[in-house]
Amino acid sequence: MVEEKICEIYPTDKIQSPVHLSLGQEHHIAALVLQLQKKDQVFTTYRSHAVYLAKGGNLNKLFAELYGKSGGISKGKAGSMHLSAPEVGLMGSSAIVASPFSHALGAAYALKLIKSNHISVSITGDGSTEEGVFHECLNFAALKQLPVLFVIENNGLAVNSPIALRQAFNLGKLVRAYDIKYLRENNGMNILSISQKSKKLLNEIRRNKIPAVFEIRTYRYREHVGINEDFDKGYRNKSEFEMWHRRDPLLLRKDLVKRFKDKIAKEIISAVSYAEKSPVPNCNDLLKDIK
Amino acid sequence: MSVLTYKEAVAKSMRDALKNNSNTIIYGLGVTDHIGIFGTTLGLAEDFGKERVFDTPLAEESMTGFGLGAALNNIYPIHIHIRTDFMLLAMNQLVNSIAKYEYMYGGLFKIPMLIRTIIGRSWGQGAQHSQSLQAIFAHIPGLTVVMPSSSSSVLSTYQYAIKYYKAPVISLEHRILYNCSFKVNSNNHLSKENLFTSFLVRKGKDVTIVATSVMVVDAINASDFVKENGNIDAEIIDLHCISHPNVDLILKSVKKTGRLIVADTGWAAYGVCADICRIISTNAPHILKLPAIQLSMAPSPCPTAKTLENFFYPNTEDIINAIYKLTKGNKYGLSKFSDKKLPKHHYDNFRGPF
Repeated sequence: MVEEKICEIYPTDKIQSPVHLSLGQEHHIAALVLQLQKKDQVFTTYRSHAVYLAKGGNLNKLFAELYGKSGGISKGKAGSMHLSAPEVGLMGSSAIVASPFSHALGAAYALKLIKSNHISVSITGDGSTEEGVFHECLNFAALKQLPVLFVIENNGLAVNSPIALRQAFNLGKLVRAYDIKYLRENNGMNILSISQKSKKLLNEIRRNKIPAVFEIRTYRYREHVGINEDFDKGYRNKSEFEMWHRRDPLLLRKDLVKRFKDKIAKEIISAVSYAEKSPVPNCNDLLKDIK
Repeated sequence: MSVLTYKEAVAKSMRDALKNNSNTIIYGLGVTDHIGIFGTTLGLAEDFGKERVFDTPLAEESMTGFGLGAALNNIYPIHIHIRTDFMLLAMNQLVNSIAKYEYMYGGLFKIPMLIRTIIGRSWGQGAQHSQSLQAIFAHIPGLTVVMPSSSSSVLSTYQYAIKYYKAPVISLEHRILYNCSFKVNSNNHLSKENLFTSFLVRKGKDVTIVATSVMVVDAINASDFVKENGNIDAEIIDLHCISHPNVDLILKSVKKTGRLIVADTGWAAYGVCADICRIISTNAPHILKLPAIQLSMAPSPCPTAKTLENFFYPNTEDIINAIYKLTKGNKYGLSKFSDKKLPKHHYDNFRGPF
């Protein structure tokens, strides 16, 4: 509903930040992230609206941030691509696709060093596994046995490039080459399955201090960046969308949606109002938070 | 007063960093081997544990981002690259994440960390083991770049960075300085005064030398020579913090002397020489009586052959000649003093391989 509200507002140019919507991909995020503890740390990339909300980020501050206002999460300096919520463990969202891997790696090392019970998680897309740094992080995580979970959201696309043009490797085989635990969920819409798998996996990581990779197959409803559908562009078929959409729990469980819809709608209206009323940053803010 | 080599000062700083702060870790390629980053990390893993002092795979991108993740969790990471050239593999994390994290999240996060790297020179280090890349790092807002030029500078700067400075610092140490001896104050009291600025090393009225790293030592040697042979008083500024120079100090000095030499360890174009000239020309261009002289690497990669190396690098003789040129004119130079003993050339004393 948040994403849909953003789509509604976007043409008014009140949000002047590229938006990478979670539509189609929110389900597995909710299922997995809700299994995390508040102090478990998450590092993700620019498609982070769902991660932010699932981890417990404040809705008012989200909208104000999208509006580029001082009352936003980062006083307007971050925008949609760099959401964070340190108070609930969302430690950053990178526009550089494979960057969260090593951030989560360092966080896991620190948590292990101080003998904390918490773990770190990175959530990135299939494209991120092609970067050399992914291999570096698998290697180091295995070497030091770090409590880190690398979640790979595989929607088969890196912007508009299909996975068949990009990968000669099988992700499971790659991960297992480091003797790292690998799990895959083929249906990102299966909230129950993902919930259960996550709970069990997280427990194991926490208890045994081991790294793991969880690949979740999913589908991106809209274009890479922006609010529109792009099936007319020819690089993908609408029938694919329909196959996924048919399984969408938000469609299949309209009864549950109905129970929460009104309350959420009120929260969103309130958040938009907060954003509208929030002041714009002034030139004194430009050179703050930099040495 | 005691005497400490630069290497000993760095080693002491590393030991103190671990001893005085329980959250410090030191890591990098070769940190725990028998060379111990030229003696600066020897014995640390044994004394403080291998979770706090450790070797790494050849994986600069991930090990740099690793530092960010650790820093977010109140660990103070000290990441060491035995050659500055290797830092180029870490640039994505340095520039896109570490430099920007505090700002782009509106101050929600801070990344206090220290990256130490060593500039190679001499004994045929060659094109890929001799770069001095302070300009590239200093160009990026969010990075604090420092080049300690003496043992006391090392001791105070590192202590200050670790204890007080809540932001990422890159320190470039010069390989040639490692075996140089310096007098240090026995009193190790650290004040809270900001050390990420520039310092006046010697007062003079005839010419200003703004120098970085080992060139500060060369400038001192050159100044001693011209004082004795020509009664010239050179003023020397140790630029020290490349990214946050003391602009007022530089302008005040050049206003007084009217003559400027910039002696830097890197290339001139888009580097320290370029930025000092930018500072002068955008603030007070009229204070220069003569064109500034740039002493820097020749505009090429570094050659391996010793004879070519000698042409490639600026040295003490070049500083001396520059001082004479600015104060006594074009026809004046070192050739007038062929009978004099030239300042000690610590570069010649360096024997490799590394």
